[in-house]
Amino acid sequence: MHEQPDYCPQPDAKPTATNTAVPIWIVVLTLVLVFLGAVYFDRHSGWFDAKVYGPFTSVEQLAAYQPQSGEAALAAHGKVVYETVCGLCHGSDGLGKANQAPPLAGSEWVAKDLVSLARVPLAGLNGPIQVAGHDWNLAMAPMGAGLSDSDLAAVLSYIRTAWGNKSSPVSEADVKAARAAISGNAPSATDLAKMTPPERGHEVFKKYGCFQCHGPDGKGGVSNFNAKTAEQVPSLVYVADGYNKAELLAFISRGERVIPRKNPNGPEPPHFMPKWGGIVTTNELSDLADFLFSLKPKGEKLDF
Amino acid sequence: MKKNIISRTLLLAVTTFALVVAGAARAEDQMDAATKARIDAFEKGPATIDISKYPAALKDNYDLFSQKCTQCHKLSRPINSDYALPSEWSRYVKRMMRKPGSGISTGEAKQIYEFLAYDSSVRKKAAVDAKLAAATPADKAADEAKIKEVHDKYDGK
Repeated sequence: MHEQPDYCPQPDAKPTATNTAVPIWIVVLTLVLVFLGAVYFDRHSGWFDAKVYGPFTSVEQLAAYQPQSGEAALAAHGKVVYETVCGLCHGSDGLGKANQAPPLAGSEWVAKDLVSLARVPLAGLNGPIQVAGHDWNLAMAPMGAGLSDSDLAAVLSYIRTAWGNKSSPVSEADVKAARAAISGNAPSATDLAKMTPPERGHEVFKKYGCFQCHGPDGKGGVSNFNAKTAEQVPSLVYVADGYNKAELLAFISRGERVIPRKNPNGPEPPHFMPKWGGIVTTNELSDLADFLFSLKPKGEKLDF
Repeated sequence: MKKNIISRTLLLAVTTFALVVAGAARAEDQMDAATKARIDAFEKGPATIDISKYPAALKDNYDLFSQKCTQCHKLSRPINSDYALPSEWSRYVKRMMRKPGSGISTGEAKQIYEFLAYDSSVRKKAAVDAKLAAATPADKAADEAKIKEVHDKYDGK
């Protein structure tokens, strides 16, 4: 008869489980592995930054490869400012967006003298304008009013040379001169000194483009998709009811980065209240609050 | 067997904790930290008020308050907030009422305000007294008059 070889397991040798606990060394080993994994992740992942990809491992490493001076550095600097401040509406490709922002690529306004170009970011632009053969009628806040001369020079140089635009780059000194020429539009210091605080506050309201979201003279009506506040940017007409001056100044300085959503699963509302502290000066803020308090219709009073 | 479960649970807990901490540390600070801490502290507190000892007439006001204010935030936020004086509640309720789409009429806002002013004068008496002591004489008199007004209106009803 054929004998079963020795190495065959006995049919009755069933696997058994015992009550032994997981040995502590496995726990420790797992934790060490998780820790090492985390360390590796920290060093090599670039923390999900879209700019970081192999063979590079971190944003810092990439930064070291960027040009540090000269024309290339100016272009890199300008691109960063552009993507942060302008790109959202005018597009990374400079082609603009329908009903939102005209193109900058091939725009005759970019090729004009620097004062005409710099006036747009410095003073904003409202109303009809023709760009590259098309009519536009929109409103843009003075998005560049808070930029330094060096940032503004970099971004204007970038706009003038990118996407096939053939104008010359501009220097910080050019920008400084353009800024001086443009400030003639705003009321002079002597004019401002003659105004009452609410009047000065109205100038502040215009200067920083508050109307852009809160409507002309704070009357509201600008849509903010999926915002809990009836999908609108709130009107400011009744600010006097809800805030004392200290509370209002604190709110404007702090801003509100996260706007509650109407539909919690819907997209983030496009507009939020920027943090104005450090941008609007303390005196301007005070005048602005006085202007906002003056918006409440005269004679309207609640009995509580 | 029991030890086994404990060590496994422990392992799971430690790993989860490590991941959460790593995530939280990297998460962008979305709101001003001080404001967030203040609101979080309020929201951790109780979410209801025991109104059994309040005048029965305030029940409707309390119901309205519970219904309208929870449209956007937890009820524990106003309940445990450091607002206490009638003037503070008046501003806060109006501020909320003026938000587009709040669905709060001026009449309803007044009822909510009255409830909060009454409730604070009872439940947050210490805070009210401290704030009144620190206020200017004119503000103090105005707030005291408003507290008296709501008590006159509701007490014994």
